Amino acid sequence: MLKRLISLTVVLSCILLPLSLAQAQDGVDWDAELGDWSGNTLKILMVGDPWVTAFDDINPLFEELTGANIVLDAYGYDQTHEKEVLVGTSQSSDYDVIVFDAPWVGEFAEGGFVEDLTPYLDATDPAIIAWDDFMPSFIDVVTWKEQITGVPFGPYILLSHYRTDLYEEAGLEPAETIPDFVANAQALTKDGMYGAALNYQRGSPIGQAWFEYIYAFGGKPFESTYPGSPDPYADMTPLLDSPESIAVVQFFKDMLDYVPIGAENVAWDERATLFATGQVAAVNAWTVRTPGFANPEQSIVVDKFATAMFPHAEGAEPSPPLGGWAMGINKFSEQKDMAWDYIKWFTSQDTLKQFVLAGGPPARMSHMEDPDILAAQHWIPTVAESVPYTYADCRPRIPESSEIITTIGNYVSQAVVGEMSVEDAMKAADEDIATLLKNAGYVVNQ
Amino acid sequence: MAANRRIRNLFLAPAIIYLLFMSIYPLIYSLYLSTTRKNLSRPYQKGFIGFDNYSNLITNDLFRTAIENTIVLAVASILIELIIAFFIARLFVAISDVPGSSIIRTVFILPMMLTPVVSGLLWSYILSPSLGIANHILRELGQAPYPWLASSDTALKSVIMINVWQWSPFLMLLMLAGLMSIPREQYEAAAMDGANILQVVRHIEMPFLRNVVLIGIIFRVIDNFRLFDIIYVTTRGGPGSATEVVTMYAYREMFGFFNVGYGSAAAVLILIMANIVTLVLNRFIRGEEGNVR
Repeated sequence: MLKRLISLTVVLSCILLPLSLAQAQDGVDWDAELGDWSGNTLKILMVGDPWVTAFDDINPLFEELTGANIVLDAYGYDQTHEKEVLVGTSQSSDYDVIVFDAPWVGEFAEGGFVEDLTPYLDATDPAIIAWDDFMPSFIDVVTWKEQITGVPFGPYILLSHYRTDLYEEAGLEPAETIPDFVANAQALTKDGMYGAALNYQRGSPIGQAWFEYIYAFGGKPFESTYPGSPDPYADMTPLLDSPESIAVVQFFKDMLDYVPIGAENVAWDERATLFATGQVAAVNAWTVRTPGFANPEQSIVVDKFATAMFPHAEGAEPSPPLGGWAMGINKFSEQKDMAWDYIKWFTSQDTLKQFVLAGGPPARMSHMEDPDILAAQHWIPTVAESVPYTYADCRPRIPESSEIITTIGNYVSQAVVGEMSVEDAMKAADEDIATLLKNAGYVVNQ
Repeated sequence: MAANRRIRNLFLAPAIIYLLFMSIYPLIYSLYLSTTRKNLSRPYQKGFIGFDNYSNLITNDLFRTAIENTIVLAVASILIELIIAFFIARLFVAISDVPGSSIIRTVFILPMMLTPVVSGLLWSYILSPSLGIANHILRELGQAPYPWLASSDTALKSVIMINVWQWSPFLMLLMLAGLMSIPREQYEAAAMDGANILQVVRHIEMPFLRNVVLIGIIFRVIDNFRLFDIIYVTTRGGPGSATEVVTMYAYREMFGFFNVGYGSAAAVLILIMANIVTLVLNRFIRGEEGNVR
């Protein structure tokens, strides 16, 4: 009898504990806040970044609360963009939640691919949304001409990651400036070790890398696009052949001496893998990769790395690049209310905390001071230190962004492998981008 | 008579409707799109621009590089495939009586059964500078590893090698069928006349294989003009523009930038180029057939 009672208690605990935990999150009464979506399937389209596995752990809680079934489709970076634009242009209702990157905001808003979330936010308890708790620069990212295109959940900041053991042994300090970064890389390239890893792959990987570094070199991509600009897209005269831009490309070329063989084909995944497998002494990588470096299943440098702010030009303000992901509602979804239920639940303070602890980057300022998160992730103070310097438009958010980034990337790649001189490549890039922007109706004074 | 004509038209109708909707209409629509500035993700950007897309394409350095790379890729791949395929086909003919030869033949045609994406991924790993078996062997031999797919000197050559590895079996199968159909008496007569191997190849085997090979070449030319997956997986057209081919260029314009007008113009030019090559080869085959008659 006692045995049966114990068995019954264990079974009941297994069923009821997760349910009560789910209901008790944030002190929010989710039963009252969320609809009953039994029998419905919520489809999410997103990039296959490392935090995708965290969704597998967290989504069952929503399924438990609402009865909904969640299907998540994840693709590579370029493929996600292609798929999402095709969903939008074909007015498909195949997906309900669209997860999109910062540079795609203007394209998705102007194209009418995502719903303006302002009415949804207005109709929701502000305590659940806690909008002001999100990273301020990322609130700017998701805002496009008075529209709220999505809710932030995965903002990335580019951090410097370096091998503490190697730096200590060589008596080096983490690089504060770009010349320090080059000098450190040079000093540590020996005996099969390389100083750093950079994105060199043609197209968007190296194009995005150019945008990562242009501000750090004291330059700007377009006349009006710079931190603190009142209107970043007022004058879109490209400055791709400026001395700072030339210096960025020359830096990529010079760094080829301190990166592993085959670097010309390295993109985001390979850049991170080279550091995690101990082949390079430092890498400037997005914060989405950092939990992987600290995961013994994915990294051999778990206890041997630390983080620092992204290096900058001598005498210039730091300008750590900002990127990352927001969740929006597909304009053509037939289940918008369920999609909003999911978004507000996922981005609520407690669910998002679980997401961060499972490997997601912090989107809320309160999470950067959360003792549980600070105890688990030693790089969070560097993230918090970087936040005030981040700039929403560090990569353009206009509809032409993907074309701009990839076109620049193709020319930079040609310069890096020596098909064109650095000056010729960037002059050609400048002319192409000027034509593109002029045709699109922007102010270009050339 | 009229009833027969009606019945005949009735039977032809499904094929005509299919052709109209699946082939003629897309082609005409593509021609129309190629004269516009239409961009899918920028609905405000549209309008008829005549042949501007074509003139922009022809004067675009990257598109010209893409055409050059496509021609180099097609010519080099097909030539190497022909040589390998011929020797392997002869080998299989020679060992056709040996037990187990059909198993070896099946193994040889396995690469052709893989999808190009899989073969691209497979070779990406094999040629990886840090993890690949190719560089592991080089290291074992005391040589420095080499960035096969990441160096602008060897990236296109590596893609050609992957292409050859995958598609030599196709030409080999065609040639094997051709060689198997040669009557044995011809070989015996040649042997009695004291013909050496080169004479046998030139005067007996080549005439039999010519038409089969030309049809195979047409298929391979079309395949190479469409080659995309292997490059997309291994190099994305880089480094620089080392492996940029016309399909990669058109794909990026269509699905990367959603410039469907400009991308359609690129696709139309690719179609025209492939058709010209096919027509020339077809004429050649017909000419040869005429000579045979």
